[in-house]
Amino acid sequence: MKSFVTLLKIEIKLSLREFSGVLFGVIVPVGLMLLLGVLYGDDMTRIQQAVPAVISIGICSSGLMGIPLTVSNYRSKKLLKRFQVTPTSPLLLLSVQFVTNLIIALISSALVILAAVVFFDYTLVGSLFSFVLLYFLVVFSIYGIGLLIASVSNSINTANLLCSIIYFPMFFLSGATIPYEIMPKLLQNISNVMPLTHGIKILKGISMGRSMNEFTFPIGMLLSIGVVCIIISVKVFKYDYE
Amino acid sequence: MKNILKVTHLKKSYGDFCAVKDLSFEVKPKQIFGLLGPNGAGKSTTIECILNTKVPDNGIVEILGTTKVKEVFDEIGVQFQSNFYPDNIRVDEVCEMISSLYEDTEEYHKMLDEFGLGDKLKSKVSKLSGGERQKLSVLLALLNKPKLVFLDELTTGLDPQARRDVWALLKQLQEKGLTIFLTSHYMDEVEFLCDEIVLINKGEIIVQGTPEEMITKSKQPSLEEAYLHYIKEAI
Repeated sequence: MKSFVTLLKIEIKLSLREFSGVLFGVIVPVGLMLLLGVLYGDDMTRIQQAVPAVISIGICSSGLMGIPLTVSNYRSKKLLKRFQVTPTSPLLLLSVQFVTNLIIALISSALVILAAVVFFDYTLVGSLFSFVLLYFLVVFSIYGIGLLIASVSNSINTANLLCSIIYFPMFFLSGATIPYEIMPKLLQNISNVMPLTHGIKILKGISMGRSMNEFTFPIGMLLSIGVVCIIISVKVFKYDYE
Repeated sequence: MKNILKVTHLKKSYGDFCAVKDLSFEVKPKQIFGLLGPNGAGKSTTIECILNTKVPDNGIVEILGTTKVKEVFDEIGVQFQSNFYPDNIRVDEVCEMISSLYEDTEEYHKMLDEFGLGDKLKSKVSKLSGGERQKLSVLLALLNKPKLVFLDELTTGLDPQARRDVWALLKQLQEKGLTIFLTSHYMDEVEFLCDEIVLINKGEIIVQGTPEEMITKSKQPSLEEAYLHYIKEAI
């Protein structure tokens, strides 16, 4: 526990110093929320659709950039191998990474919601419990994909490439930044392939007062993606590039 | 005397390439043991097999009285050849990071002073000179008060004065009971430090003994000449 806390403190300091995680994970979504809020003005429906979409940006940038890039960086620097020859395990460092990124995502989401509540009178119509539960389901699924990228890439360059290929289309097309509702049919079809699109749809639905029962298919999908990705990650994960 | 490290019939291949062939040797307590050989001879692979970061194909490694190295990592210090430092990390943070992984550790401020790095406490590791970084990696290997320490190319990149400082420090630690397993390409260093050496090439032992024995047996004027003589003979 002592090591976990010490490492967490150091990892948080490092990610603040590195800054791109904070920029893309916190500053961009909060800025976007403010921008969308101003654009939508009094249109409460639009604002209620925007909040769940924008909070998913923090999950995405921490899960699809933060985790895979740091993990493959630590692997190529042999830091994971260094942890292998101590009484602890590289799993300790990996779990610290996981928590650090989750903290960034949570802070990001909290600030987005706060901004929406304070400046644009956002209220959650649906059940808060379901909303929080499904938020963590989205985290589970996206972080699973992030771990899978970290596991299958055999160099930091591959990790970089995979992250960009997966992150940027999701960033623009899943409805996180550009509202799904205003996309042409073709883009909506592309968008529907992305797991995050379904995550956002569920969160939007709950935010606007619909019940969890209406979303059994996407919930099942996100859950299976998370489980499958994590199983594969654990099977193929290596502490060191050969 | 009881062995602190005993390697028997160690073998490791990567695909068709055999990096270590049937290697056996022993390291006694309080010894400074040198594993020598040209680049690619299998030195780092041997260390990795001993520490189980690579799984040997064959052979037994007994270390600090056990064959399960994981159980004794608290008492083992390791400096790998490559630097592992995360981007943007500071000297004090990396010391804290490594310290947090062990039960009992040295005060790192004191050790930084001993290593002449006391004024670098708040510097970023990436801003250190190559020599300072190398000294830091030796320091980190010693933080957990190990009984046995592995130093892979310990003084590569150090200036002559810094090398002498590190040597003196290691000799001091040896007197206090530390056993040291090192690899090095500098024969003056090996001659000064090592009590016992094993010279390997292509994963096989060519010759072993004390530095003096190696010089005498090879009928060469110095350890460096003896080393070159044996490597040439092996090819």
